[in-house]
Amino acid sequence: MSGSDRKMYPPLWRRLYSVWFRHMRVYTKNMASNGLPPFLEPLIFLAGVGLGLGNYITEDVEGLKYIEFLGMGLLVTTAMFTSAFECSFGTFIRLEFHKVYDGMLAAPVTAENLIVGEMLWAASKGFFFSLSVLIMLSLFKIVSFGDAYLAPFVGFLTALMFASLSLLITSFVKTINHFNFYFTGFISPMFFFSGVVFPISKLPAKLQPFAEAVPLTHSVRLVRAVCTGNYRWALGLDLLYIVVFIAVVGFLAVHRLKKRLVY
Amino acid sequence: MTENVITVNNISKSYGQVRAVNSLSFEVAAGTCFSCLGPNGAGKTTTMKMVYGKCVRDADCDGTLDVLGYDPRTNELDIKCRSGVVTQDNNLDEELNVIQNLMLYSRFYDIPKKEAKKRIAYLLDFLELPEKSKSKIRELSGGMKRRLVIARALINNPQLLILDEPTTGLDPQVRHLIWEKLLQLKEEGTTILLTTHYMEEAFRLSDTVLIMHLGKKIMQGSPLELLDDNIEKYVLEINRPEFFDKIKENQIVSKVRVNNTNQFTRLFSDKVETLQAISQLLKGGEYQLRQANLEDVFLKATGDILNVR
Repeated sequence: MSGSDRKMYPPLWRRLYSVWFRHMRVYTKNMASNGLPPFLEPLIFLAGVGLGLGNYITEDVEGLKYIEFLGMGLLVTTAMFTSAFECSFGTFIRLEFHKVYDGMLAAPVTAENLIVGEMLWAASKGFFFSLSVLIMLSLFKIVSFGDAYLAPFVGFLTALMFASLSLLITSFVKTINHFNFYFTGFISPMFFFSGVVFPISKLPAKLQPFAEAVPLTHSVRLVRAVCTGNYRWALGLDLLYIVVFIAVVGFLAVHRLKKRLVY
Repeated sequence: MTENVITVNNISKSYGQVRAVNSLSFEVAAGTCFSCLGPNGAGKTTTMKMVYGKCVRDADCDGTLDVLGYDPRTNELDIKCRSGVVTQDNNLDEELNVIQNLMLYSRFYDIPKKEAKKRIAYLLDFLELPEKSKSKIRELSGGMKRRLVIARALINNPQLLILDEPTTGLDPQVRHLIWEKLLQLKEEGTTILLTTHYMEEAFRLSDTVLIMHLGKKIMQGSPLELLDDNIEKYVLEINRPEFFDKIKENQIVSKVRVNNTNQFTRLFSDKVETLQAISQLLKGGEYQLRQANLEDVFLKATGDILNVR
């Protein structure tokens, strides 16, 4: 038979890349249906606000026009949503219905490689979705691309947080319908109460600590700072929150989900 | 060459209270085909999974497992890059076409693109799928999908090929084609480990057959050894219990071994003349007289009735 005998398995980075590449390959296979929505969604949102809702909000919000305030928030919520869906419904379908992982795990890839590769893919998707929003925002002169070019990196970190969290949730989920609790109970409220739609300083004082506890709040603060160039030392705490969240929740997710892949 | 590719020594695997595999031991010699047979739930798939690292054997069992010189618990990657696995389900990427599916997997093994293309062309040809290289997965028949999964498992030119029920649900033509290809691989030196429910498959392909039941080894040997050691040479199968009732008082019947189930009765003997004499007492169409086969051994070993676990 042809072909040389393979004595060595690929190095770690290569194994992670293979997993990442698999997801990218399958995702980009339907570029029209997968690639357009990230550009269209912010467009619809901005049209709704610009044409309608915006007329009622004439006050500045934290020194920004409302459409600017909201638009900057969308840079990270889009990363949150794409990553949360990818690593909940997406992961569950690959795991339980399509049995994709059974095939991948027969190749020289460990369960840990597979899970981390999945997180990196979700984070890359977050980067891409953030970038698409940024492109639309800059086309409509809501933010300038030159000022806000770091925003997709915040999108990357945001997506990484939600990838870790969603994979951890997935490790507990027995039927796919359980994700409804996660989305209605956690993700959707976060969209409204993490300073995306209105500043958390407007929340009742008793609720503000809750807003500080959830991940999206820190992404939103960081991305607005990046867009406005308003860097301050306190942002270090937000960045620290994000890094610690990814490390701790990511570790738990790998640990727990591994037991569903190799048992 | 008598070197062992797989050495399983006294390993167990439990899922909660259920012991799926119980103190199992066997060896697979290089370049041979080893089949695991057993009723559903016997522990065949779990055994396969322990070999290729999808399942981890119980930590508290003191057994050892050696695959290609490595322990799957500590060196799964060393084993994986030298073996190929065909799982029970066809888990192909539906979004991609045939060649893309294979190219994707070549990356997992870090095979250079040019070499991968050559290898894929060879494999599609080998499994008689060359005109399908651009087809979408959903356009393939069940038999083609199965062959594609086998091609995928061969992409790294594995020393060990593991197949979990490779031909279940396929038509006889495809089944024979797959058998032919597996025999060819074996001749080329690939070691094959497989599970099956088809006795004919086990008989044709295997050098060694292991029959498992409720997680334990019941018997092991070459197909012919199993036949010689465990079952009489001939069987008279009587189609309905009533037909047997008519003749069961006859003295000649006491000379043969009788196996009664709800559906039919089987009389076993090494002397075909005895069974022929008994068959004279019956009408044509009420019986078949035939040579005993592996299925008879299997049913004898694992019981005739369904095992509810």
